[in-house]
Amino acid sequence: MMPYEIRSIDQDASQLLAAAKHSGVRKMCLFSLHPDAPEEPTIAQCRQANDYVLAYRDIAPEVVLPFCYVNPRHTKEAVREIERCVGKHRMVGIKLWVSCRASDPLLDPILETAVAFDVPVLQHAWLKTSGNLPSESTPEDVAKLAKQHLRARIIMSHLNGHNPRGLEAVADCPNVVVDTSGGDPESGMVELAVSRLGSHRVVYGSDAPIRHFAVCLAKVLGANLPQTVIKDILWNNAAQLLPPWAEVSALEDEK
Amino acid sequence: MIIDVNAWTGQWGTFPIPGKVWQVRQSLKQIGVDRMWMSPLGAAWSLNPHLCNDEVYQAGQESDDIDPVPIIDPTIPSWPDELDKAKETKMVHWVKLLPAYGSYTLCEAKGLFEALSSNGMGVIVQVRLEDPRRQHPLAQVPDVPARDVVNIATQYPDLRVILSGAGWPALLEVADSLSQLPNLYADTSQIDGLGMLKFLVDFGLETNLLFGSHTPLFIPLAGLARVLGEVDDQTAETILGANASRLLAEI
Repeated sequence: MMPYEIRSIDQDASQLLAAAKHSGVRKMCLFSLHPDAPEEPTIAQCRQANDYVLAYRDIAPEVVLPFCYVNPRHTKEAVREIERCVGKHRMVGIKLWVSCRASDPLLDPILETAVAFDVPVLQHAWLKTSGNLPSESTPEDVAKLAKQHLRARIIMSHLNGHNPRGLEAVADCPNVVVDTSGGDPESGMVELAVSRLGSHRVVYGSDAPIRHFAVCLAKVLGANLPQTVIKDILWNNAAQLLPPWAEVSALEDEK
Repeated sequence: MIIDVNAWTGQWGTFPIPGKVWQVRQSLKQIGVDRMWMSPLGAAWSLNPHLCNDEVYQAGQESDDIDPVPIIDPTIPSWPDELDKAKETKMVHWVKLLPAYGSYTLCEAKGLFEALSSNGMGVIVQVRLEDPRRQHPLAQVPDVPARDVVNIATQYPDLRVILSGAGWPALLEVADSLSQLPNLYADTSQIDGLGMLKFLVDFGLETNLLFGSHTPLFIPLAGLARVLGEVDDQTAETILGANASRLLAEI
């Protein structure tokens, strides 16, 4: 009895895109973790996930901004997969999940490739009281990664999963922005992120369909922040991170 | 008419929140809430939560749109006195239980359930205040099983029971019971995930769901967006206020 069952890519796209549109989301940085969501995917599973996202882009090219999912433990193959997805198919970013901690040197070739292609890296991170998965990154891992790859643009996922301590780990890493996805819509977290990192280092993220577009939008829209900052979080900051071929321009200030 | 059945006032130990009564009231008024059922957040970590209830009684006296929902701990011997105090206070129709924070099981509240039932009052059982992944490492509190709340509704058919703070996995587990027990309701405060609320509505629970914001721990707008982002206007009206209005009229 699951509400979000995927029967086909057309049904999946139709459902997700309709929900995004209903909430006012115009562009989606989209990745797949494979239907089985294995913690340590094979390269074949990563390719399958990435092909799914490419097909998704074909369905809605005006909305979907595809990210390439790789497992750094298969280092050479991961680099080749990035070359295929970003170099050939013009995906706009790289997604790293829980197969390998961000502080692991195995990520070095991945980050070097990201810099070479001028695309951001979306790195999952949590700081769980109940304990992280063995290879799940903490904000401290992300900080180590960022300090070793100063030219890389890193999006650290799941603001509400970092809790107020996690933010401090990346406060002195100007090449790290945090996304607002993950966890509950707790009061004050987006304001805290803006206060500690600066308004240009926070981007909207939903984690849909695990979480709801509108609930996560409310984290930003319901925050006690100036409209210009809200606009930056919802659009402009992400526009700055994406490569030119994503064709996402910053919004001009209203006169 | 929007009624928030899950509002709090007070502070939270691990993170600063805008929890003064006026702040909570103002933030809920800003999203259009007409009435708020308010409990004292300090009761969660109080050795005697009854000592925290005056805060919401006073708030109810000062603002017509605040319905005090006192916390009662059935393992404190003087709970009948606290219930008497609640009965004597205008606008108290419900009491709330925090079993995980009081470290008791619902089986220990038999006397309280009987008293509430005979007085025509209802009970709200809070099964989660905070995601266990986010709790302070030295203050970890497990969720109360939603099934335990269902058992109370089954055992006391004249008692109106609200399951508060359950996430969607817990609600899916008890969805059948929610659809079958006319005295059992659930609030929407922690039903997250795309399509989850709509799924529960399509399952037949439209009249069992009550809007809860979990303010000030959560952002009020998020709770509202959860409902408006998922269901049609008529269903939203039912969940946001009509169901709670009906309950208030019945109780």
